[in-house]
Amino acid sequence: MRDKPLNKGPQDVGGEPGDGVGTIDHCMTFWEKQANGLRSMLSGWRIVRTDELRRAAKDLGAQYSKVAYFERTTTALKNMLLKKGLITESELKAKMDEIRASFNVPDEMESPLKKAAKK
Amino acid sequence: MSAQTQAQSASLPSTYAPAPGHRFKVGNLALIKPAFPPGHRRTPHYIRGKEDVTERICGAFPNPEKIAYGFDDEPKTLLYRARFPQNHVWPGHKGSAHDVIEMEIFEHRLLPVSKKRITP
Repeated sequence: MRDKPLNKGPQDVGGEPGDGVGTIDHCMTFWEKQANGLRSMLSGWRIVRTDELRRAAKDLGAQYSKVAYFERTTTALKNMLLKKGLITESELKAKMDEIRASFNVPDEMESPLKKAAKK
Repeated sequence: MSAQTQAQSASLPSTYAPAPGHRFKVGNLALIKPAFPPGHRRTPHYIRGKEDVTERICGAFPNPEKIAYGFDDEPKTLLYRARFPQNHVWPGHKGSAHDVIEMEIFEHRLLPVSKKRITP
């Protein structure tokens, strides 16, 4: 068998060694609930389809397994909305800046994954 | 499950949704195509090239491999639940020889197999 089978996506990990299954319930954070709600609503209205989002998540490639589940699904949603032209990068950035300013979130509160990426 | 229900489910193709023109019947053998096309594919790599027994006919459903690219829900595609012996899927399987794995597979992924080579 090939080491890297043809056209194998980052989600296709069946048969590979794993790290064991985590059994601690981490619950959902506030932003994760909101992001999930947005995703459910948009797919419920068929503005984006679940299968499109799965595809967009796979399209993250190497990033797929490096980010947490809700970061992956939310990035996939963002990419799909941008691709469909329903939002633009500048609109998204303006809204994020506005929300960030209203909460006055210090940089230290950023995701540890993002911080690690900056280093 | 009573003996009577068991006999019924063995003789009747069980479906969740209508499945007009289905190619495989319950108990039929099939080969998961050993094909590796690019794109959004819903069949895991490890099961391709393995043989299954049709456990049930799930019905006709929109093809997720097309929806993923913005195509229509129609026409629907036949979906089956496939049963594989674990020791066929995983050489060196240490569990019981009766262990099986089941997964749902669309008809366009299946090839008919006439000669019985596996014992589910």
